[in-house]
Amino acid sequence: MHEFGVMMYLLDAVEEKARELNASRVLVINLVIGDRASIVEDSLDYYFDQMTPGTLAEGARLSMRRVPMRFKCLNCENMFTPVNGTFRCPVCDSVGQVTEEGSEFLIESIEIER
Amino acid sequence: MAVERVKVIQNILSGNDQVAERNRERFDEASVLAVNVMASPGAGKTSVIVRTMEALRGRARVGVIEGDIAGSIDTERVLKAGAVDAIQINTGGNCHLEANMIQKALDGLDLSALDLLFIENVGNLVCPTHWALGEHIRLCVLSTAEGDDKPVKYPEIFATSDVIVLNKIDLIELVDFDREFFYESVYALNPQVPVFEISCRTGTGVAEWAEWLVANRVEMPEVLMVERV
Repeated sequence: MHEFGVMMYLLDAVEEKARELNASRVLVINLVIGDRASIVEDSLDYYFDQMTPGTLAEGARLSMRRVPMRFKCLNCENMFTPVNGTFRCPVCDSVGQVTEEGSEFLIESIEIER
Repeated sequence: MAVERVKVIQNILSGNDQVAERNRERFDEASVLAVNVMASPGAGKTSVIVRTMEALRGRARVGVIEGDIAGSIDTERVLKAGAVDAIQINTGGNCHLEANMIQKALDGLDLSALDLLFIENVGNLVCPTHWALGEHIRLCVLSTAEGDDKPVKYPEIFATSDVIVLNKIDLIELVDFDREFFYESVYALNPQVPVFEISCRTGTGVAEWAEWLVANRVEMPEVLMVERV
């Protein structure tokens, strides 16, 4: 449900950037979203379609690159994405440590026409 | 017509973060320690606030901003328990507080009359996580009755909290809460995080938690703890 607010701030930021660049319209918005952000893509798409008409991003494509959450095993240094409801390493069963991978929440780039 | 790709690399919620920074400046100017209280519904957010106020009675002037989808029950409760001031924000369905809601609420709050401000977020372990409010401390309250698997299921809130309060510790034997598994998961996400086991019902652990909290305020620049009876 927080996708509504996310989309509001996202479109504000995109619109501001596009004006700064003297763009006549925005064609693509490239996002990088880690799984830690708990964003539902369908919901984001829905609000995008609802909220872009009349803005520079009307008719643009919303492209999302998802990044899985990654842990590093403190024992064998294996990098893994947790499965089966535990943060233990699937190789050696030691407890892993969360890394920054998967916490991305970025507007990476926009594609514009001037 | 030429299409141009322009690098942006900007946090999606940077608009919210900017407002949060301005809120933070207001807290700092008034030497008010601001705490964002996050938890699921029923974990005991309001009870933790009330118990902490009781433990700090005569030592800290406490204000509360209550975020709820509707109603003002919690505001009445904290005022009755001794809050100097309390403001209700009804989000009207929104699942979390945003920095601009706090900015608006601050216009109705005299920060100079406070030492400590609790911002009670909407009950939810997911949505509040990404919305900075300007707080100094992000507190996650979990109750034993919710289960030891919450850090595995909702990692982000545990990974990004400054402190965790494990409430309803008096129920731990009754609800099959596996302490070892809980701590293992919490420290995998947030290795240094302090965890306080408390019971708002019996009062267990409340004093230790409250002392930890006010120690953070003493560390704020130019703060003199107000000593009153």
